[in-house]
Amino acid sequence: MRICKNEMRMGALSIAVSSALAVMFAAPMSAYAEETWEDEVAIIRHPTNYIEVGAENVSKDSAKFGEYNGLDKKGGKAIANISVRGGDAYEGGDGTMRWSLTGRDLGTTSRELGAAVGNQGRWNLNIGYDELRHNITDTYQTPLQGSMGGNVFTLPANFGTFVAQTAPSARTLDITSPNQLSAFHTEDVGTTRKNTSLGAGIILSPELSLKFDYNHLAQSGAKLMAGAALGGQLPTGGTGTWRAEAVAILMNPTNYNTDTFNLALNWKGEQGHLSGGYFGSFFKDGYDRLSYQNPMLSTGGTAPAGVYQTNTLSTAPDNQLHQLNVSGGYAFSPTTKLVGGISYGRNTQNASFLTGVPELVTTPQSSLNGVVVTKHFDLKLSNQTTRELMLGAALKYNERDNRTVSDTYLYRQLGNATYTGVNTPYSNKKTQLELAADYRLAVGQSLRLAYEREAIRRWCDKVADGYQCVASPASNEGKLGLGYRMKASDSVRFNVGYAYANRKGDFDSAYVANTGNRAHVTAPPTGSTVIVPSATYGNGVLNGGNFLGFAAQPYASRKQDILTAGVNWQASDKLDVDLSGRFSRDKYDSELGVQNGRTSSINLGATYTYNDENSVSAYATMKNSERELKMGATSTAAAGTGNTWAYAGVAATNFWTNQLKENSNTIGLNSKHTGLMGSKLELASDLSYSLDKSRYATQVPYLATCSAVGTLTCGDLPDIKNKVITLRLSGIYALDQASKVSVGYMYQQLKSEDYFYNWYQYGYTGLRGMPTNQTSGSYNVNVVSASYIYSFK
Amino acid sequence: MKQVRQLLLSACVGMLLMSGAAFGADEPATAGDTTVAPAKAPAKDLILKGDAKCTGCHDEADEPVGRATMLELNPGVLAIATTRHGVKGDARTPTCTDCHGESKDHVGFKGKGKEKPPAPDRSFRKITETPAAERNAACLTCHKGDKRTHWEGSQHAANDVACNNCHKVHAEHDAVRDKRTQAEVCFTCHKNERADTHKVSTHPLAAGKMTCSDCHNLHGSAGPKLLKKNTLNETCFTCHAEKRGPFLWEHQPVTEDCSSCHTPHGSNITPLLKSRAPFMCSECHDGAHNSKAPYGPVAAGNQGGFVGTNPTENAGGRACMNCHSLIHGSNHPAGALLHR
Repeated sequence: MRICKNEMRMGALSIAVSSALAVMFAAPMSAYAEETWEDEVAIIRHPTNYIEVGAENVSKDSAKFGEYNGLDKKGGKAIANISVRGGDAYEGGDGTMRWSLTGRDLGTTSRELGAAVGNQGRWNLNIGYDELRHNITDTYQTPLQGSMGGNVFTLPANFGTFVAQTAPSARTLDITSPNQLSAFHTEDVGTTRKNTSLGAGIILSPELSLKFDYNHLAQSGAKLMAGAALGGQLPTGGTGTWRAEAVAILMNPTNYNTDTFNLALNWKGEQGHLSGGYFGSFFKDGYDRLSYQNPMLSTGGTAPAGVYQTNTLSTAPDNQLHQLNVSGGYAFSPTTKLVGGISYGRNTQNASFLTGVPELVTTPQSSLNGVVVTKHFDLKLSNQTTRELMLGAALKYNERDNRTVSDTYLYRQLGNATYTGVNTPYSNKKTQLELAADYRLAVGQSLRLAYEREAIRRWCDKVADGYQCVASPASNEGKLGLGYRMKASDSVRFNVGYAYANRKGDFDSAYVANTGNRAHVTAPPTGSTVIVPSATYGNGVLNGGNFLGFAAQPYASRKQDILTAGVNWQASDKLDVDLSGRFSRDKYDSELGVQNGRTSSINLGATYTYNDENSVSAYATMKNSERELKMGATSTAAAGTGNTWAYAGVAATNFWTNQLKENSNTIGLNSKHTGLMGSKLELASDLSYSLDKSRYATQVPYLATCSAVGTLTCGDLPDIKNKVITLRLSGIYALDQASKVSVGYMYQQLKSEDYFYNWYQYGYTGLRGMPTNQTSGSYNVNVVSASYIYSFK
Repeated sequence: MKQVRQLLLSACVGMLLMSGAAFGADEPATAGDTTVAPAKAPAKDLILKGDAKCTGCHDEADEPVGRATMLELNPGVLAIATTRHGVKGDARTPTCTDCHGESKDHVGFKGKGKEKPPAPDRSFRKITETPAAERNAACLTCHKGDKRTHWEGSQHAANDVACNNCHKVHAEHDAVRDKRTQAEVCFTCHKNERADTHKVSTHPLAAGKMTCSDCHNLHGSAGPKLLKKNTLNETCFTCHAEKRGPFLWEHQPVTEDCSSCHTPHGSNITPLLKSRAPFMCSECHDGAHNSKAPYGPVAAGNQGGFVGTNPTENAGGRACMNCHSLIHGSNHPAGALLHR
């Protein structure tokens, strides 16, 4: 072109021709280019809005399949989704207003709807509604009458009494009373959460902003829980012994309302930032009790004292949390930063105690007046000492200080015996120190050395009778970790890490548990801290650490090794392959309790992205874990002095062990294809398979008959096995620029084997259990869907 | 012949003008430049203020066939216009070079044909020479404080996770900020957690009713495991406030650590339990009653082979929790044993 330019010798004619050509060609081309260009940019600049309407059909009823997705019932559901956004901020000018309206799954109980408007850089406002029905079961049966979500349940007047039978086929139901069987009915049990939210923010200045959000969570429905009562007659029919373990499965109402507030003022400067805020959470329970008629008690019979016609359980008490939070950071230099925060919270609970129930004897106050003060402090200093070395040090402190008053409560326990209880308000505090150094050895290679120290203290303030309340008043743990990462080449990255942790837990044999009956406590002799066993009861006031050498798992001394490794191969821009693994081993020092544990996992994954929008990926995960438990069934204490109880400081006898082994395998394959049929068709697929197994095995070497079918206290339990297969296929076809048709298919299968449900089946409960016939919820469900999507800019 | 030559010259000029019009987003002609008769229109910003330097590139005025503009090369990049980073009217909105650097080598690239220019100073591509810390520094210039207070030294920062490993800044749909798709982004690295969510007992992640960020602050936190709150229990109580208490009768591990019994991402044992009663309870209790007693297949009842008269309620079904059902705490004055 330069040559051409240099050789130009333009005369009048050539200029005239040139001008004419320019006018003829350039002007219209310019106009065309300008229009196209602007149009294209305008299209890009504006968000894609859409409205989707359609229908889907579910092939079968299944609460488990529809646990969270709202597709628990057979039949049709509407599909309704919407996303519309607008505002002059999208026009490319000086406008900053944006608004949006979104709705998803509006045709199901998993619906959500939200709207937002904001003037970017100045303020924003949003509201939202989110609903979630958690379907728990649709196979639960009960003879109790009362609506799910209510708190009063009664039996039909002609129900009679459960009279235990020896034959499993007849057990728990009085076969002479057809009214009992006919009283059982099925309930769909689940909870519904309705979240309403409001959020707002305002930027007061470039440095200062204010944020607020409020959330109201309204819960209804119920969850299943057990209720135990005194009742249940032995097979002789009406003349047997009453037991305190008459079990009924109940619909525990979740009539809850929780209001949550967040208010924060944020300041942001050149070198520092600071946030101060308030968090408030207010929980209210619509019920103060759950009462139910005792099915183990004949309505016409004469019951011994303490066997109540109606039993009462407490519900969750109203409570509040107020918390003040301040956090901030300051950059001393581009390489040195300090961040930290402090929180102070006050959690109170003062719901009125239940009154008018026969089990109460002496209640010292009408409500708990419970107060828990939570404190938090953290500080972290990071420094990029050199280009190669990054150092960090952090200190964290958390305290839960339960300042609730401890008092003595007298009542009758389930077995009608008098019980002297002393509440032990538990407190704990944790201090953590973290030190870390990251060193870049060479280009693509780095080393990380980290050390953590954690100290936990546990206590109760002023327990009414002065006893120490926790088995482990203190534990300390040190953890040292070393990690190495290497970029072996442009496409291969490798990492390996090892960590060693050592936890030392203290044990105080002088503790008396929350659940200990104080009437059974004999104070330790002067100069001793060991509780002397009661002549009648031993010292069943303990509850974890009764035997010499036992330590509860969370507090036991433990050594832990963790090894991790991974390699990532970015074979090309398109292919990514990843392999990683983790192995950990726990070794507990205690003679009894959990002895050891091991976990291992391997992950393999590959993704082939053959262009920006099209990909195929596959993954597999294998996880295994084990833990071993060792216990003693009895003590060396002399018979007749409470040998059925365990003793602190007394050696255990008759050891048994139990192993838990878990295997989990998951594989998946998914793909996404767009741009098919001239960019009109998009296809996606997702296939996954998971198989999880848990197995308990018990060995009771001291008992030769443990494997007899009449006892079966040793041996392997049946696997808890759950297999889930999911296939999702979807396709979207563009009819034109604005209209699309979407079709989808989903198949999911759950095969669940779980002995948990055995005990609740008709004829298979214990002598004092009310059946529910609830099953594990295996299913095969197909869902087909079709919808029309209208999209616009 | 002369006339023919003049016509050819005129055509040459006309074509030049046409090409100039067609590729109208050129660099403005430099002052005093008289080499081309008709001055080209200055390049226009397409989306952001000052982005013409980037979006109008690759269009050499003296090349009849210039290379494609950004609009043609990668229109997806311009989808930033639909995001908060694309609002011109907001004075805080960054330009291309605010994030990618001045990138003089890239801008000044004079290659021809299919030659590729050097990467910008800061490249956020999947495969890039720009260290994660440098990429993150670009983002943290504006996004400092608040939720990112604890970024430095956090698990993600220490493992060289860059903002763009999770976020798509130029996309209309940033999957990690969408409740329905966020988990899949996290599962790119957190594969054990992905496997957990396939288990029979989970939080509603797969249904898109809950996200990882409901519990975790992925940008760093003062809590354990990047949890949003200061402690695990505080985090759990955000949604499960009914378990916060304080109760008259407390269960000690509940007051200290929900994960003593529960595992959050998924379990083979409902509801999200690490183990099953009575074995789980025996890990802590060797005391009164039956917590120290061995149980084998009797726990599976008659269906498990037991033929005795009484499949025990101590081991069957909820086992210990058949009676100690208020396991998270009780406020009943007659509930010390968590029965009521």
